[in-house]
Amino acid sequence: MKINKYFFYIATALLLFSFHTQLFAAGDDALDNVMKTMLIATIIVIGIVLWLAVIYSEKNDIDGQTFKAPLIKFRQWLTKSTPVEREQEILLSHDYDGIKELDNRIPPWFSALFYGTIIWGIIYLMVFHVFDSGSVQEKEYLAEVQQANFEKQILIKSGVFINEETVTASNDPAVLNEGKEIYTKNCLACHGQDGGGLVGPNLTDEFWIHGGGIKNIFKVIKYGVPQKGMISWQTQLDPNKMKAVGSYILTFQGTKPANGKQPEGEKWTESN
Amino acid sequence: MQVEKFSYDNLVVKQFAIATLFWGVIGMLVGLTIALQLYIPELNFGIPYLTFGRLRPLHTNAVIFAFVGNMIFAGIYYSVQRVCKTRMISDFLSKFHFWGWQFIIVAAAITLPLGFTTSKEYAELEWPIDIMIAVVWLAFGYNLIATIVKRREKHMYVALWFYIATFVTITVLHVVNSLEIPAGILKSYPIFAGVQDALVQWWYAHNAVAFFLTTPFLGLMYYFLPKAANRPVYSYRLSILHFWALIFLYIWAGPHHLLYTALPDWAQSLGTVFSIMLIAPSWGGMLNGLLTLRGAWDRVRDNPILKFMVVAVTAYGMSTFEGPMLSLKSVNAITHYTDWTIGHAHLGALGWNGLLTFGILYWLIPVMWKTELYSKKLANVHFWISTLGIVFYSIPLYWAGLTQSLMWKQFTELGVLQYPNFLETVLQIIPMYILRSVGGFLFIAGIFLCVYNLVKTAKKGSFEKNEEAEAAPLIKEADKLKRGMIHRWLEKRPIKFALLATVVILIGGLVELIPTYLVKSNIPTIESVKPYTPLELHGRDIYIREGCNTCHSQMVRPFRSETERYGEYSKAGEFVYDHPFLWGSKRTGPDLHRQGGKYSNVWHYLHFEDPRQMSPGSIMPPYPWLLTNSLDTSSTSAKINAMRTIGVPYGEEYENFANKDLMNQANAIADDLLNNGIPADPDKDVIALIAYLQRLGTDIKGNKK
Repeated sequence: MKINKYFFYIATALLLFSFHTQLFAAGDDALDNVMKTMLIATIIVIGIVLWLAVIYSEKNDIDGQTFKAPLIKFRQWLTKSTPVEREQEILLSHDYDGIKELDNRIPPWFSALFYGTIIWGIIYLMVFHVFDSGSVQEKEYLAEVQQANFEKQILIKSGVFINEETVTASNDPAVLNEGKEIYTKNCLACHGQDGGGLVGPNLTDEFWIHGGGIKNIFKVIKYGVPQKGMISWQTQLDPNKMKAVGSYILTFQGTKPANGKQPEGEKWTESN
Repeated sequence: MQVEKFSYDNLVVKQFAIATLFWGVIGMLVGLTIALQLYIPELNFGIPYLTFGRLRPLHTNAVIFAFVGNMIFAGIYYSVQRVCKTRMISDFLSKFHFWGWQFIIVAAAITLPLGFTTSKEYAELEWPIDIMIAVVWLAFGYNLIATIVKRREKHMYVALWFYIATFVTITVLHVVNSLEIPAGILKSYPIFAGVQDALVQWWYAHNAVAFFLTTPFLGLMYYFLPKAANRPVYSYRLSILHFWALIFLYIWAGPHHLLYTALPDWAQSLGTVFSIMLIAPSWGGMLNGLLTLRGAWDRVRDNPILKFMVVAVTAYGMSTFEGPMLSLKSVNAITHYTDWTIGHAHLGALGWNGLLTFGILYWLIPVMWKTELYSKKLANVHFWISTLGIVFYSIPLYWAGLTQSLMWKQFTELGVLQYPNFLETVLQIIPMYILRSVGGFLFIAGIFLCVYNLVKTAKKGSFEKNEEAEAAPLIKEADKLKRGMIHRWLEKRPIKFALLATVVILIGGLVELIPTYLVKSNIPTIESVKPYTPLELHGRDIYIREGCNTCHSQMVRPFRSETERYGEYSKAGEFVYDHPFLWGSKRTGPDLHRQGGKYSNVWHYLHFEDPRQMSPGSIMPPYPWLLTNSLDTSSTSAKINAMRTIGVPYGEEYENFANKDLMNQANAIADDLLNNGIPADPDKDVIALIAYLQRLGTDIKGNKK
């Protein structure tokens, strides 16, 4: 039998699949996977059995007594459609330029969908605007922000979150590389490829408008200087990234690029 | 009984059919051009009239009102005469309608690239053209209704119901959404502002989809599909149910275009629930279409006309399911402002409107020219190529939309945006844009095959302007309203039918629009919000002229991922002087509502000169003409006066010294540019635009947490 052969293949595939998902490994995660795999396998098996039943009924049960009858009945129950052969019974006398109209009943599944969506609509409006138990957008937003702030507090306490007080310049090549990447993506447009300054000031000399050194640079990056066009980056770069790019900027010191802007601000020495 | 002899007017049908294909080709070529511009910005050749912002409205107007519009009229003029068994009541009005409509299209094709636009989507045309549209539309409506009134058929066929609903609703929509005050020959401001303007606009635009792209096409389907399949319509009572449910429910769903915006919550919720309720009535049309083919499915296999119709109706069913799903707020939060929306719109436009148009034309042209289709094989090729085109168009855009949206929302473990640079999320989806344009190209290749095939068909047949027909006259008979026969009774009374349909479509609109206009709590006042200065007002008009709103939204939604990226979310009270609102519907570029003060004037100046100077890889085209065009300050007083008329509190006689304020502000910006090494004249367009951008969203910045 052909079908048996197919069944064998499918069973084999299923078995391989379950091995692949580490059925026998220990731990909660694995157990979860096992449950999921079993569920999928069960659904597939049920599907196959149903499919076989339909195939079988088509082959050996031409009258559709055993298997097909309930299916046909179910479909009839869903659609209440008059079969094409008997459509004369519901043919209306309408005739518009040769177009005739049948008067099939509205399919019950259609009515269920129609009235179901109306009931759903009423419930939706009730929940959000009468009983006030759903969150409208402002509530939803405040909850989202509160959750994020809560998570941030934990991060700050754990010390991962450096700030302008605690930041230190890094010489680590990996960090400097990351800094260079960030610089190229975000800063280059205003401060130039080599830090010589374009719209923004020259970063290579020892004169700084808002103070030099990693702490001040970090601060300017973080909060920006909006009135001068330097934007705040704290929502776009996390503290580690601001530290990386700050450290990279310090490597420009004393490079004297060809078309650098005139120095601006005051001379910065570490003792200031 | 004595039969009367008369003839059908086929000439107007022929004219509209030719116009359909002509404008179809043009509209789609413009579409392909802007699709290519999304990844090859140079394709505007540095010409202001060919930029994305100006061509995009031309594309949408051309395909909606020229391609689909002409098809609607061709189909209506053909089918109305036949199901009414009479000639159109006035040949003059038919002609006037045809030439008037083509004139409007030409006027649109000229004014839109020139930058004359109201910025309101699918209603971009300026006020003189709006008036022309109203006149031509009423001429069409009178011709339609009067013809139905003097019909020889006792009852009105379902197609006519849909045509009547189309006429009355589009009339209402067009009038209300075009209430504007002129501020020049081709410049106007809508009388509504901000939230109210947004609600009116999307009530209009959503129902333009409903009553221009959907109901008339359902009417066409009800005539041409049973004709082509030679089968009776599946269910008369389903027709009644889904017709009334559809026109009643559709009107309410407009606010689903404004979910998570500054629109009041109650209006958003109405948009959501009525969209969900629309699934069944929409599917009623699909069912009646597809099930009419019962017993004819074997013919679908080798009849290209039926193939087009089947896929068209299926595409209608798919997009009317997709639409309600996109109206669920949790789904909308992901898909809105992304390319998903564009994919969705094109599934409907290319699938439902496009393929049904082709199906009808392949049936209609041979019938009117009394011959066979020139090449069935070519029509089959067209069918496959356009179906493939739709797949290649929509799926990449679904993918692009989802990808970009997830990138916008992604935070790192440290609680910072993973992709803070907007451009990064754009560059990620460029391959999808390329695929999409391939899909569009396939679809256009198809329409060329269609034109060739139909021209060849017409050449071998012979066209008759007036087709002879005969029918018995209609005898008036007294009949009483009987239980169970109410609708049958109504079908004999076109005027009562039209009035009832008008009442039904007015309810939803009134319930949503009136409270938003009258109830104060819907738009809480913010003291610090002040009218735009004259220079900013000019800048805003340049923003509108260049179509910036086609790519940039001005509506920060209340999501953490947006407030982190752009700033405080947008409040209803901030838009009270925005005539028109400029919230946008798609973010090809970042949101601009909190743009004010974010970058320096120099940054903006250089960015307009060439965006790639400031953002390497940007797909925004350069706008060098803004740097050289001089600002037209002679219109300032007209603009101030117009604004004051619609309620913006400019002081009495301010128009007389507005230009002095304007120059002061412009000089200040020019000075700042000079200080940063850019010598610029203060009287250039770019200065006004920078002034506007620097003002955007700053009114409440002081109040920020």
